Amino acid sequence: MGWMPNWRLTSLVGAGLLAMTAAAAAGTVRVTIAEYSKGTGPYFDQAAKDFEAKNPGIKIQIEVVPWDNLQQKLTTDISAGANADLSIIGTRWLLDYVQQGVVTPLDQYLTPELKGRFISTFLTPSVLNGKTYGLPIAASARALYYNKDIFQKAGLSEPPATWAEFKADAEKIKASGGGAYGFGLQGKEIETDVYFYYAFWSYGGDIIKDGKSGLDSPAGIEAAKLYKSFIDGGLTQPGVTSYAREDVQNLFKQGKVATVITAPFLSNQIKAEAPNLHYGVAAIPAGPDGTRGTYGVTDSVVLFENSKNKDEAFKFLDFLFTTEARTKFDKVEGFLPVNQEEAANPYFADNADLKVFASLLPKARFAPVIPGWEEIADATSSAIQKIYLGQSEVEPALKEAAAKANDVLTKK
Amino acid sequence: MRRKALRSLVYWLLLAPLIVVILFPFAVMFITAIKPPDEVLSPNWWPTHPRLWNFVEMWSATDFGNAILNSLYVSVLATLLALLVSIPAAYALSRYRFAARGAFRQFLLVSQMLSPIILVLGLFRLVVSLHLIDNVNSVVFVYAAFNIAFSVWMLQSYFSTIPLDLEEAAWMEGASPLTTLLRVFLPLATPAMVVTAIFTFINAWNEFVIALTMLRRQESYTLPIQIFSLVAGRYTVEWHYVMGAALVATIPVAVVFAWLQRYLVRGLTIGAVK
Amino acid sequence: MSRRATPYILILPGFLLAAFIILWPLKEIVQIATHDVNRFGMLRGFSGLANFDALFGDADFIATIGRTAVWTLGVVIGTLVCSLPVALILNQDFHGRSLARVIIMLPWAISLTMTAIVWRWALNGESGMLNSGLMKLGLLGTNIQWLAAASTAFPMQIAIGILVSIPFTVTIFLGGLSSVPDELYDAAAIEGAGALARFRYITLALVKPFINIAFVLNAIYVFNSFPIIWVMTQGGPANSTDIMVTYLYKLAFRWGKLGEAAAVSLLMFALLLAFTLIYVHLAMREREAKA
Repeated sequence: MGWMPNWRLTSLVGAGLLAMTAAAAAGTVRVTIAEYSKGTGPYFDQAAKDFEAKNPGIKIQIEVVPWDNLQQKLTTDISAGANADLSIIGTRWLLDYVQQGVVTPLDQYLTPELKGRFISTFLTPSVLNGKTYGLPIAASARALYYNKDIFQKAGLSEPPATWAEFKADAEKIKASGGGAYGFGLQGKEIETDVYFYYAFWSYGGDIIKDGKSGLDSPAGIEAAKLYKSFIDGGLTQPGVTSYAREDVQNLFKQGKVATVITAPFLSNQIKAEAPNLHYGVAAIPAGPDGTRGTYGVTDSVVLFENSKNKDEAFKFLDFLFTTEARTKFDKVEGFLPVNQEEAANPYFADNADLKVFASLLPKARFAPVIPGWEEIADATSSAIQKIYLGQSEVEPALKEAAAKANDVLTKK
Repeated sequence: MRRKALRSLVYWLLLAPLIVVILFPFAVMFITAIKPPDEVLSPNWWPTHPRLWNFVEMWSATDFGNAILNSLYVSVLATLLALLVSIPAAYALSRYRFAARGAFRQFLLVSQMLSPIILVLGLFRLVVSLHLIDNVNSVVFVYAAFNIAFSVWMLQSYFSTIPLDLEEAAWMEGASPLTTLLRVFLPLATPAMVVTAIFTFINAWNEFVIALTMLRRQESYTLPIQIFSLVAGRYTVEWHYVMGAALVATIPVAVVFAWLQRYLVRGLTIGAVK
Repeated sequence: MSRRATPYILILPGFLLAAFIILWPLKEIVQIATHDVNRFGMLRGFSGLANFDALFGDADFIATIGRTAVWTLGVVIGTLVCSLPVALILNQDFHGRSLARVIIMLPWAISLTMTAIVWRWALNGESGMLNSGLMKLGLLGTNIQWLAAASTAFPMQIAIGILVSIPFTVTIFLGGLSSVPDELYDAAAIEGAGALARFRYITLALVKPFINIAFVLNAIYVFNSFPIIWVMTQGGPANSTDIMVTYLYKLAFRWGKLGEAAAVSLLMFALLLAFTLIYVHLAMREREAKA
C-alpha cells in the first residue's frame, strides 16, 4: 500500500512555504485583536480596510482571538517567536512583558502632537521607567448602577452616598418585598478582588503600601466584614460565589438585584436587552470619612520587539487613534473616550451616564504596576471567596492573602 | 411481535431516566435559541414568541457556512488518515508476534497521556519551525496523530476476534495477501472501523484548543472556535446565538453517527464462516 | 519483503505519526520543567528539581492531587457502571433502537466546552433553567446555588463528566458486543446455561478487552480533562474544585510560571504512565488470535 499521501505532504508544505514567504514580503502587519463584543472584529476589519485604502503597499492582517484565550495565545506565540507585530494586552500585564523585553518603547514614534491627543490619565498606566510602551486602546472605570423602580418602591429617592447609607437602603429594599436583593455582589472569577477593593479603598486601604500588601490592614478587615454582613443579612443575592460579573449584570437587567458596580458598557446592554429598565448611575459609595475609589482599567496596544514591520505597524496605530477612528470604536464598545477631542464630542459629553464615569476619573486607581500582579489578585480573590462562603474568618483569611502577596512581591 | 413490543417498552422505560438527563441540555439550548433577545436571560421554559429567525442571524454572525466547511474538511481528512495508518498497525499487532509488540502498544497509550494544555505549547513550536502555522492541514495531521492510539487499540481488539481460518481459506484459493485483506478481512472488521471512524470524526469536529493555537485567520477557523468566540470573554454575550450555533453544530455529527451506527450489529464474524 | 520485517513496516507510519505529536513536545516540557523559565517559556538557567520543590511546598497543589483521583475514579467508574447496561440494551433488537442509539450518543456530538457552557448556564442559581424546572415540578422549594461551593459544584461536575463519557463508552461496548456471535448464546442455551451464566461466561468474557480499553482510555482522558471544571467554576471558589490540569493552566497562563506548569505536566504524565503500566500488566494478558 505504501505511504500514499507523501507527495501530497511535500506539495502542501511547499505551497505553505510559498504562501508564507509571499505574505511576509508584502510587509504585512499582523495585529492580534481580542474581542470585546460582536462589534470588535468587524470594526477592526473595517479599520484595516480604511487604512489600506489610504496607505497602499501596507497590508494589515487582523487576527481575532476570544479574550479568555488571549493570554494563552500570546504566551504560545511569543514562546515560539511567532507573535504578531501588534497586539492588544491587558495593561496590568505590561510590566511582565517589558521586563522580559518582548515589547518595544514607542517614544521614538510618538510625536508631541500624537501624545497630546490623549487624556493623560489613560496614558500613564502604559508608561514604565519613563518610556511609553503602549497606547490605550480601551479605557473604562466603574460606577454604581441602581434600579430606580426598586428604589422608589422602597421609598428611596436618592442613591446612597456612603456604605452606611447603602446598608440602610438595602435593608429598606429587603423590607419592601418584591423579591429583589439590594446589593449585586460578584464572588466569582476575574475581578472578584476588584469588587472588594471598592469598599477597601473607601475605608482608606491601599493595595500595596511601602512595598507590602495592605490587605490585612484595618481597612481591609472593615471592608470584608461589611460585605460579609451584607451576605449574612440577606442583602445580596444568595450564592455569591457562583456569580461572575456577567451573571450579576444579568441579575440587574432582570430586576433581581437593585444595584451593581460595573463599567459603562452596561448602559448599552440595558438599551438592547432591558429597554424598560429605569436605572441611574452614581458614584461608588464612600467610606465614613468621604474617601471613595473607583477602578480604572485600560487595555493597551503594544508593539513587539521582534516585529519586522515596526514603521508600518506604528502608522496603523496612529490611524487607530485619530479622533474619527477612536470615536467609532468607543461608540461600538461603550468604552470611555481616551482622546481629548473625542471626549468633547456631544455623544460622550452629553451622555448622562458617561458624565458620572468621567467625573470619577481623577480619583481612579489602576491595578498596581508590579510583576506577579495576577498571582496576587488570585490570592486575594481566593481569600475573599473563603470569607463569603463562611469557610474562613475575616482576619485569618486576609492575613494569609497578605502573606502570599508579600511572598510574590519579595520574590520578584 | 407482541413480545418485541413489550420488550421495546421495557427497554425504553429503562433508558428513560438517562434520556431525560441527556435531552435536558438540548432542550435548554433549543429553547434559548428561539427566544427573542430581551427574554434570553429569563428562565422560562418556552419563549413568549418563538423566533426562528435567530438561526438565520446566527449563521451570518458566526460565519457559520465557512466554519462548517473548514470543520468538515479537517474532520473527514483526519478520520481517513487515522484509519489509513491504523489499519496496518492493528493488523500487525493482531496477526504477528514480534519483539516490539508490547512496547508499541504501550507507546500508543503514552501518546494520549500528555495534557493537551501544555502539549500545545511544544506542538506549536514544532509546527512553527516547519512553517505550517495557519495551515489547516497541520491541524489534520495533529488530529489524526492523536487518534491513532484509540484506533489501533480498538481495531486490534476486534481483529483478534476474526478467525485466521478465513484468511487461510482465501490464501489457499490463491488470493494474494492484499486482496485477502481488502475483500475478506476488512469487511468483517466493519464494526470496529465504524467505531474508529466515529471516534476520530467527533474528536476532530469538536476539538478547540489545538485549532485555535494553530490557526490565525478567521477564514480558516473551525466551528468550535467560532462558537466559542461568541462566549469567551465578550462583555455582552448573545446567548440565543451561542445556543443556536451549538445546536446546529451537532447536526452533522448526529447525521454521521446515525448513518454509521447501523453497522454496529452483532453476529458479523462467525456468520461469515458459513 | 521478509516476513520478519513485515510487522515493523506495518506499524511504522502509525508510529511516526504518533511520535510526531509526543516526542518533541515531551522533550520541550522536560527542558522547561528543569530550567528557570520566564513567562514566555524562554530558558534562563538550569534549575534541576527546583520547580518540583516549589510545587510540593504549595498546599493548593497538593490538594489537587487527591481531588484529581476522586474526579477520575468518580467519573470513570460511574461511566462504566452506567454504560454496560445501556450498551446491553442497545444491542438488543427492539422498536426504535436506532433512535435510542442516536439519542444516547448526543452528548458526544457537542464539544465538551459547549456542554459545560450550557450546563453552567442551566445551573445558574437565580436564572437557571434547572432550578426553574425543578421548582415547577415541585421537587424544589428554593433555588439551589449549585456552583457556589465545592460541596454542590464538584458532584455536579462529576455527574456531567459521567454524562459526556457515556456515549463514547457505550459505542465501544457496542462495537465489542458486535463481535459476540448469536450462535454462541444459542449453543450455551441448548447446553442448559441460564441467562446470568450466559452473560458471565460469554458476553462479559468476550467483551472484556473492550471494557479494558474503555477503562484505560477513559481514565487517561478524564484525568486530563479540562473544560468541564474550568468552564463551570475555573477550579474555584478559592481553588476548591481545582484538579491538577486546571491548576496547571493557572500556573502556565495566569501566573506565568511555566516551569512549575511543565513540572505538573510531567507529574501527571508519570502518574498516568504508572497506572497504565500496572493495569495493562495485571488486567490485560495478551490473547492469542483465536483460530
